[in-house]
Amino acid sequence: MSRRAAGFVLGFALALLIGGGLWWWLGERGGSRVRGTAQTVSNEPREKREFDLYFPTDGGRLRAERRELEVAEAPKDRIRKVVEALLGGPKGDGLYALFPEGVTLGGLQLGADGTAYVDLRWAEKEEPPASGSSEEMQRVYSLVNSIVFNVPQARRVVLLWNGAQTLTFAGHLDTSRPLLPERSLLAP
Amino acid sequence: MKDRRFWASLALFSLLLPVLVAAQGERPQAPPAPAPSRSSVTLEGREIPVPVTITPGGPLFGLSPLAAEMGAGLTSDEAGESLTLKIDQTEVVIGIGSSIITIGDQIVSLSQPPVQGEGGIQVPIEFLRKTFGDLQGYSFDWRPDVSRLAIARRGAREMQVALDVVHLQGVTTVVLQFPEAPRYHVKEEPGAVEVQMLADRLTPPAPPPAVADPLVQSVTINPQQIRLQLVPGAEVESYVLENPFRLVFDVHRAAAVETAPGPAFTRPALPAGIRTIVIDPGHGGRETGAIGPSGVAEKELTLQLARELASRLEQRMSVRAVLTRSEDVVLPHDTRTAIANQNKADLFVSIHLNSSLGSGAHGAETYFLSTEASDSRAARSADAENLDLAGDGPDAASDPAAAQDLQLILWDLAQTHHLSESQRFANMIQGELNETLQLRDRGVKQAPFRVLMGAAMPAVLVELGFLSNPDEEKKLQDPAYRSDLVDALARAIGRYKALVENREPAAGTGAATPPGAQLPSPPSQPARPAPRPTPRPGGGAGAPP
Repeated sequence: MSRRAAGFVLGFALALLIGGGLWWWLGERGGSRVRGTAQTVSNEPREKREFDLYFPTDGGRLRAERRELEVAEAPKDRIRKVVEALLGGPKGDGLYALFPEGVTLGGLQLGADGTAYVDLRWAEKEEPPASGSSEEMQRVYSLVNSIVFNVPQARRVVLLWNGAQTLTFAGHLDTSRPLLPERSLLAP
Repeated sequence: MKDRRFWASLALFSLLLPVLVAAQGERPQAPPAPAPSRSSVTLEGREIPVPVTITPGGPLFGLSPLAAEMGAGLTSDEAGESLTLKIDQTEVVIGIGSSIITIGDQIVSLSQPPVQGEGGIQVPIEFLRKTFGDLQGYSFDWRPDVSRLAIARRGAREMQVALDVVHLQGVTTVVLQFPEAPRYHVKEEPGAVEVQMLADRLTPPAPPPAVADPLVQSVTINPQQIRLQLVPGAEVESYVLENPFRLVFDVHRAAAVETAPGPAFTRPALPAGIRTIVIDPGHGGRETGAIGPSGVAEKELTLQLARELASRLEQRMSVRAVLTRSEDVVLPHDTRTAIANQNKADLFVSIHLNSSLGSGAHGAETYFLSTEASDSRAARSADAENLDLAGDGPDAASDPAAAQDLQLILWDLAQTHHLSESQRFANMIQGELNETLQLRDRGVKQAPFRVLMGAAMPAVLVELGFLSNPDEEKKLQDPAYRSDLVDALARAIGRYKALVENREPAAGTGAATPPGAQLPSPPSQPARPAPRPTPRPGGGAGAPP
């Protein structure tokens, strides 16, 4: 092997080593963000907009908390931001988090007919938290109301849990069909 | 110089490589669902052009090309809100976005509704099995690994049928027992009822059955159909029992009430009396329901309350009380209502205890079913119902459009024709809980609760208190307090029973109590029957009064 050929092979191996290292380093930094929330990266311009997020109250109802979120124009991105903010919990007093820690947004789709498919994931349990009907309605309609009232392109919501659509969410509400928002649960 | 250029190029390449690879990795991910797929559909081994969409709920198939290939007709109404699929002589009515369809005069609930999609309406495989499968004997084999649907016609099954006829207390019960569920259609006509085999053949019993009965003149069985010839004036109701599969007909004499010529659609008659009450203890088994701060599980208390209520009802009034579960077991929601339907219950009471996020909520509330009025057909149905009760409804006999409209909304009426009675009953329960126990009145509400769907009788779900509230949790563990709750429920049931049994006979069309009838008034209710509630958009809970 000539000296020149040996140099080429050595250089190529070095390039692969450096490239692989950089790839691994970049993947670690960005990977959890992509995998954890099924987020897609968009080059769309983003803007700060105000959203009313409906969190459970102590009396079994829902109350809006106004939040400024940085969103793109795409309705799907807005739904994602709204759901992620809901799952992050309220900031104000007297409001409650929807779910225990660890519940994340697994997948999201917005159909042409205005049906938003929201897949919530919880590694700890196969099924949603056991509850009475008021608690179940607080959880479900917190999501449904917040999505439909904030994103006009979404008219109804199909809730999935760990990738599956169930007959009921926690033993009461029929979640086998798309859900519409429920104004009567809003606290006066 | 040459070497330096080589090493510089190599360094540049090594820096660019990860950037290119990372950029590749950062491409937006494909949406989770629904996503177009390269799926295929074959009919008897021949590929047919049918659009397929994969959704989180399963694959959806374009109905229009399927119907054309399988010899069925598909037409749309003028508004484009519903379609009629005609398979042989059976009409299947489909509402876009509605998971309820009608097959002939049967109401069928799908787990996934038909939707508008590529190339028109798209339907789930469950739809195809319940229509083409049950009516024409096709099998639908979906293979998700290769995304292929194989459709093939099953061979006609030969099956034996056993006949039993019993007459007791003025009612003749005809039982047809099959070795497995046949594909059939029940056709009623004046003075007779026919069970027509759709894709199966019967082996008639030998010798032919001889029937000597005061209400059933004859039963004839041939390979394609079973015909029950009734005496003049007899009426028949049919239902199904499982394990083994039995088709049951209860034949009785029609009530001596003059019936005015009415619209094509007749609303089911109001209950003549309250004889059987099904009590459903909420949750069970691993489905614990709410858990109180001290660890009390809803499923345990609901079972105790239900047992006590059943016992008290049978002690105090001449009724049969049936529990949907008497042990700590998981029981599917649909089984709970199926138990009520199979027992021909006159009332269905599902007992629950509540919880909310936070501990402040307290009090009792009573729910009856909300059907989703988002569907414009449901809203029209409710409107038509309300108008009809007010006496100025559409005359389906003279107005073909109104008649068609009423036929199209049959699915909704199956759920809603008991709603006004459920609301009345719910008001009585809530009134008793409020007045006798001084609980916080959280009101009578509507919600799309699964356990109330499919109940063919007035049905309510009562939440007797919040386990998430430490004070109420403590009270609910007290047997004396639970006894008071049971008393309140028993009184409400007794009052509703008295109301129904003292009500003047309804017209043959099953309309509400005639104007002027004197009814006992439930608390805060007018003496006049409550108007049929219009399902609210969202189908959700109503605000407390």
